[in-house]
Amino acid sequence: MASDQTSSLAVAVPAVRAGRRLGEFTATYGLALVFVLVMGLFGLLRPSTFFSAININTILVGQSVTAMLALAEMIPLATRQFDLSVGFHLGMAQVLIVGLQVQYGVPWPVAAVAILLLALVVGAVNGVLVARFGIDSFIATMGVGTLLFGVSNWYSGGQQITGNNLPASFTGLTGIYLHIPLPAVFVAVAAVLLWIVTERLPVGRSLYVIGANPRAAELTGIRIERHIIGTFTAAGFLCGVAGVMLGSLLQTGTPSVGPEYLLPAFAATLLGATSIHPGRVNVVGTLLAVLILAFSFSGVQQLGAPFYVQYFFNGGILIIAVGLSVYAAQRRRRAATAAEAGLEPKAGSRPAGGEGRKADGAIRNPG
Amino acid sequence: MAVGGAARHSVAEHAMEAGAAPALAIDGLTKRFFGTLALDRVDLALQRGEIHALIGENGAGKSTLIKCLAGIYQADGGEIRLHGVRVEPWLHELPISFVHQDLGLVDELSVGENVALVSGFPRRRGLIDWRGVWSQAREIYAAMQVEAPDPRLPVGTLGAAGRAILGIVRALARRSEIVVLDEPTASLPEPDAQHLFQVLRTLRASGKGIIYVSHRLNELAGLADRVTVLRDGRKVRTARLADTTPKALVRDMLGREIGMAAVAHAAGGASQPVLTASGLWIGRRGPVDFEIAAGDVVGLVGLRGAGQQDIGRAIFGAVRPDTGELRLDGIPLSPDESIPERIARGIALLAGDRGRESAFSGMSVQENMLPSPHIGGEAAWRWVAPGRERRRIAARLERFDVRPRNPAALIDWLSGGNQQKVFVGRWLESKARLFIMEEPTAGVDVGAKFAIHQLLRDAAARGAGVLVVSSDFEEVAGLCDRALVIGRGRITADLHGGDLSVDNLIACSSMGREESGAD
Repeated sequence: MASDQTSSLAVAVPAVRAGRRLGEFTATYGLALVFVLVMGLFGLLRPSTFFSAININTILVGQSVTAMLALAEMIPLATRQFDLSVGFHLGMAQVLIVGLQVQYGVPWPVAAVAILLLALVVGAVNGVLVARFGIDSFIATMGVGTLLFGVSNWYSGGQQITGNNLPASFTGLTGIYLHIPLPAVFVAVAAVLLWIVTERLPVGRSLYVIGANPRAAELTGIRIERHIIGTFTAAGFLCGVAGVMLGSLLQTGTPSVGPEYLLPAFAATLLGATSIHPGRVNVVGTLLAVLILAFSFSGVQQLGAPFYVQYFFNGGILIIAVGLSVYAAQRRRRAATAAEAGLEPKAGSRPAGGEGRKADGAIRNPG
Repeated sequence: MAVGGAARHSVAEHAMEAGAAPALAIDGLTKRFFGTLALDRVDLALQRGEIHALIGENGAGKSTLIKCLAGIYQADGGEIRLHGVRVEPWLHELPISFVHQDLGLVDELSVGENVALVSGFPRRRGLIDWRGVWSQAREIYAAMQVEAPDPRLPVGTLGAAGRAILGIVRALARRSEIVVLDEPTASLPEPDAQHLFQVLRTLRASGKGIIYVSHRLNELAGLADRVTVLRDGRKVRTARLADTTPKALVRDMLGREIGMAAVAHAAGGASQPVLTASGLWIGRRGPVDFEIAAGDVVGLVGLRGAGQQDIGRAIFGAVRPDTGELRLDGIPLSPDESIPERIARGIALLAGDRGRESAFSGMSVQENMLPSPHIGGEAAWRWVAPGRERRRIAARLERFDVRPRNPAALIDWLSGGNQQKVFVGRWLESKARLFIMEEPTAGVDVGAKFAIHQLLRDAAARGAGVLVVSSDFEEVAGLCDRALVIGRGRITADLHGGDLSVDNLIACSSMGREESGAD
């Protein structure tokens, strides 16, 4: 896509074109570049361990839940709606998939199907609260999420459910086959489907269009309510999938687990929005962000950093990356207006009183 | 309308005779962008008590000139003098107010707060004095002899005209000596524009200098004293308005002759009507009865708030009428049919408020042109090959002359006129039966205006109906086969043929008001 963007630039001045291409390139592939740098850096510093199959597979398995949750978060965020319930939802699904097997002897596929159906319902409830009742998504999903957290604790009595004698077919869901970790395959399948929807189907564009200007979207015939309910329902489904994966991974049902996944998933989604399609959440950017955060933390850990460095890492990278993307967007904008000045700079921008519009490539608060 | 431009002995003429230094003198201003000359030795002198029109096509350099004045761009050459004193806007903010098409109002805040954002919040013992905030807004409106809205109302509740007036009133409240207005009337209905002109004349009489950027040449008569024409970054000429004609100005702007009346009016066909409205009541106003024949371009005009916009939106399904019947190609339209269902039946609507109802800010030109599968009647879950879509877009950019021809450019990067071409292009390629176009050429330069009109005529020639909802009487008179004048939600006049003229439109819409004021 980026090559399309750069190749079709119709700017007359070669110097500008080159500068703009470079700008476009770094804006588009910034995260990919960072990923390569991270891999290169730690690969050099810890050549024997960093690239080991064990290390890579551990990271891929461990991050699959976060990645799935980040993909879930991305869908409503495309329409600028938050889903704060994903962490709690993940926790509930994880408690139920273990609990239903251990306490009621339900075969795991049946339990999984029930959980996924429930996940669709929970997502749809979120969507209906936001789209039909007009409750701010922040509040609606926080409320629903807290309810779900209550359900997890109610069901488990606040105790950890130990998953004795879980069938191998269930624990094998997060195993490694032919050197390929199965959970990573699940993430890949979800990502490919989601990529097709968001990048190649008109329905995906409709989501971004709603996010950019709901009123204008409505006037082009897009049914906003349906789309928003759909995004929350899809997000709910992926939370259910992530919960089943987490249950298989932990082999226990722990009611306190779940909420701590919300922020990393959110961070990855927002970080992903700084690249590939600067300014909007996107699948490839989201996955790259999950990988960068995971691999760089693993690298730092191998260099001897204590566990809490992870938080500094996640927070710091988020701020720096988003900051850089805002800066890049401003530069891009300046270059664009300058290049068009021969034709005409945008008539609407205001000289006095600061920036007329916020930087185009920057993440805008979806609220 | 001309208020004796030649006979009046204005403050400006006094100043010129006295040989005083002009309020603002721009001398040989040059601005280069990467080797391209955006401004090439432009001169402009603004006297005290003068309204100086600045005209030119999109890209002629008007905006660059203004941005140099505002200190956004640093000029590469030339000098700027204020009352004879050389100044450097790049370094110091000048006492000049700027009012842009994009007014920069905060919709969620009240009128009073929006005023206070510019003129400051009155305080009492360190805290905001809210009574002071409200009265400050009222006073500023009163000083300009403009009827003030309730200062506690959120700006979002004002119409387009109210917002434009607020933006101007707010900037002028800074008591600057010089005001630069960038197309302030582009979105204003005629009577509001006239009202604004009256305000500008009052300001001129008090000795302020006004630079007035515009695309509407006819409105300059009786308003501007002098006019400077820019083309391709160069000054073509400065002339007293009384010594020139709109036609001559168009020639200067374009550098060529243009047939203003070149849009041919198709002969009215006696075919089956595309749209029939009967007994239509909207918001307890009506009834409205009319027909649009296939191949007809019908104007729907009226004063601000007369209800012409609501009629178009009721047909599109964005506003629900109280009662009445609508038929498209003879088949009734149910009031329960949603917007997407109506689009599928062949109704298209270009919304008048570009920023709020058409633009997808932060998205590309390509996405802004093809935002919704509904418009082309395509499936939402169909695979779209990027190459195919790119070719489709490239053809459209060419056809609608969008500059730059870059589908990946963000819509925000385009000038207002080029954005409008994108939004017009969004709808005009569809196979709609009825195109409802609200202010289709607001803020668009002459060349593009002509092109959009031609596209609308083409759509009509292919057998569609076109309904132009516009407050630009000049446009309606030039473009439409027929015009319906709306007053208080009712049709007060149906003009066609030789009766369809700007004068008649103005006369009919204001007569409608008198009539309704009498009962």
